[in-house]
Amino acid sequence: MATASPHQLRRSLFAALAYLATTWLSVWLSKKLSVDASIWLRVVTGLLPLLPISYGVRVVVQIILAGDELQRRIDLEAIAVASVAVGLGALTLSLLLVANVVTLSGRQALLWVFPALWMGYALARVWVARRYR
Amino acid sequence: MKSRVRELREAQGWSQATLADHLGVSRQTVNAIETGKYDPSLPLALRLGRLFKQPVESIFFHEEEHS
Repeated sequence: MATASPHQLRRSLFAALAYLATTWLSVWLSKKLSVDASIWLRVVTGLLPLLPISYGVRVVVQIILAGDELQRRIDLEAIAVASVAVGLGALTLSLLLVANVVTLSGRQALLWVFPALWMGYALARVWVARRYR
Repeated sequence: MKSRVRELREAQGWSQATLADHLGVSRQTVNAIETGKYDPSLPLALRLGRLFKQPVESIFFHEEEHS
């Protein structure tokens, strides 16, 4: 018990694929929509990827809650490591932006915060779990 | 923290997976407790004590207390 079941892994994979599909659809539709389109239509189109993301977060929370105390500790440490790493990375990037060393649009940078946090959590979880083997 | 979990488990002829099933935890957790890499919570330590019919303080100890 206490590890992700094949069913939960399938649901995670479905969420990831749905995220890719809705992101592509959202970007494609946003380009097609004219500036005169209703604000609500643009909001719905723009926020479309939030649906699979919310579903994916729910699946991960269920996996964590189904884990035992050691696995929850590993998850907590991994989330802490990922948060600090992404926070420091964002701070470093913004300092370099202020210093005009790099140029990057705020739109691009913001889009990568959540995926970076997610990937950081996955990598940190592998690293943290090794300490308890 | 050291423990006698491995010794007590082997005395029962159980695998780590069997003990994990009895305790409702993962095999990785049992392994981490046996190797001293993870100190269990009080409820889990009490479950171990109840399962092996031993007081918790006879299962878990600091190394200097045992020598």
